[in-house]
Amino acid sequence: MADTVHLLAVFSDLEPAADAIDQLRALGLSDNDINTISGVPVTEAMLGRPAAWSNVPRIAFGGAILGMSAAAFLVFIAPHWYPYPIQVGTQAYVPGPPSFVLFFELTMLGMLLSTFLGVFLESYFPNYRPMNYVKEASDGKIAVFFTCPSESKDKFTKTMNALGAEKVEVAEVEQL
Amino acid sequence: MTYDKKEKKVVHAEHHAHGDDHFREKHLMLDPLPRGQMNDMVMESMTEPPTWKFWLVFGILSVIVAYGLFYSWARLIIEGVGIAGVNRPSYWGIFLVNTVFWIGISHAGTFISAILRVFRAEFRRPFTRAAELMTTFGLVQAGFSIFMHLGRVWLFYWLLPYPNERMLWPNMHSPLSWDLIAITTYLLSSTMYLFLPLIPDLAMARDKSTGWRKIFYRTLALGFRGTEGEWAHLRNAMNIFAWAIIPVMFSVHTIVSWDFAAATRPGWNSTIFGPYFIVGALHSGMGAVIVVLAIIRATMKNMKYFIRPEHFDAIGKLMLVISMGWAYFFFNDYMVQWYGGDKWTKQLLHFHEGGPLGWMWFAMLICNIAIPWAVLWNPKWRSIPWLVSMVGIFINVGMWLERYIIIPISLTINRMPFTWRMYTPGIEIPLGIGTLAFFCLLYMAASKLIPLIPVWEVQEGQMAHKLTKYGRETVVTVSELE
Repeated sequence: MADTVHLLAVFSDLEPAADAIDQLRALGLSDNDINTISGVPVTEAMLGRPAAWSNVPRIAFGGAILGMSAAAFLVFIAPHWYPYPIQVGTQAYVPGPPSFVLFFELTMLGMLLSTFLGVFLESYFPNYRPMNYVKEASDGKIAVFFTCPSESKDKFTKTMNALGAEKVEVAEVEQL
Repeated sequence: MTYDKKEKKVVHAEHHAHGDDHFREKHLMLDPLPRGQMNDMVMESMTEPPTWKFWLVFGILSVIVAYGLFYSWARLIIEGVGIAGVNRPSYWGIFLVNTVFWIGISHAGTFISAILRVFRAEFRRPFTRAAELMTTFGLVQAGFSIFMHLGRVWLFYWLLPYPNERMLWPNMHSPLSWDLIAITTYLLSSTMYLFLPLIPDLAMARDKSTGWRKIFYRTLALGFRGTEGEWAHLRNAMNIFAWAIIPVMFSVHTIVSWDFAAATRPGWNSTIFGPYFIVGALHSGMGAVIVVLAIIRATMKNMKYFIRPEHFDAIGKLMLVISMGWAYFFFNDYMVQWYGGDKWTKQLLHFHEGGPLGWMWFAMLICNIAIPWAVLWNPKWRSIPWLVSMVGIFINVGMWLERYIIIPISLTINRMPFTWRMYTPGIEIPLGIGTLAFFCLLYMAASKLIPLIPVWEVQEGQMAHKLTKYGRETVVTVSELE
């Protein structure tokens, strides 16, 4: 496998960043070789990138099922484990409407907790290792990271500069 | 003739040029600044050294919290609930009033952040975090209040369904046990919903700070960089939260209302208590948000750029509509109770209006209906921060009185006249003031640590807004970027 180099190009605006990504593709890079960093949720469609896959909704669904199972345990199983169930008025030991309340709350709690944890799992949070980053991103710049063959480094740098990159340099990992 | 026409055109063009400036001055979304500058403004508002006034207020609040909350609570624990005013027949006093009040306040954050997000109400953008913080801090006070009510607070875990030596499995038949689950769910959900959109701003603060702040923000930012994947996961999660937390919010105050409505007491046994309580919660919550925004705008640096009269106008409109909703539910509840003709209910209604605390009933109506309607119908008045925040204070006074009327005053009258007795609060008063002071103290501390303005959301909104000319008319257009 040929030697590769990680480059970083910083753009001040969306349009040149999108053009740069198109150009990188035209130069033979695949979408997997490219990543972007921005301080605002620029959608993949705006940059002409394939939609990022996220498992957060699936994890949330799984959490909802777990929450519902916890409610089912409390409602249907727990009262029968102990010899003295509590009679309240004329209500059955497993009454309908109050059980619905429990089901609703625990299902929602399971879903929201797992959504939150899903972001952590999917984004590998917390992550305090040094990483490719450029601080200008939080000031509104759009950084395009890409991996290209070492021998083509100059060609890619020139192309990015021609498209209006504010700077193009070898991407270095840094402590955030 | 030709000259006249030209002149007219010039005047027309000037008018429109002036109009564009007017739009920019009026609407934050049409008045973008470079992102770096907005970041610096928010960082400056957080990191500028506090003035002596800040420390004075902070000191006074700390003393109130030390006495009102911690010392008084310690006394309550050591001496027992006998030093509180609760006694037969009013076993529920100010502790429960404050619990319901603070849960109500907490509804504002979700309403602004989730409901307005779902409905794409763009004016929400700069103050979602300020409202979400209110939710979390309000729920903390609600938790304190209910723990005070427990008396033997160290036994709070008896509320949890756990196996015990008497082999009784605490079941879920009581609204109080639903309360525990609903409030816990809401507290956890709203805290997570506060934190998720905060992550990009914490990352921004990490990039802009040094020293202990750098360590603090780096730890909380969790390594967020703003990659496509991170934004996609965050966007998905925030959409799920925005939709899912709305029914959770509705369930919380509905369940709180069932604490009362599920009883067969006169005045409480009402089928509309659920929505009535929700509207009441939104009423007090929106009133509190406007007060907080006015204080932030007046006291924190650069906030006049982010929080503008247009925001007070928009919230003012919501407050007016919610006030009308509250009046509708109040009248509906009153009408049906009054028409029913039950002896004890009639006695109670008469006691509300003509009893020794009847002034509270009238003050409630003045604060919740008369004052908001008198002020908020006028767009000019609605845009004056101090005026509309005064209305917010009155609404909160009115809503606190409403809860006081529903709980201890209504408990005074029951079906056993020999037990009738007025409720006189004791240690509840310093404890209640203590929770209010603690809420303010937490907010003041947070204002120095957490970016109160979600800068990335503001920038996203500014990207989506623009002025478009249709013929001679300039209008604001919004693109749906998400």
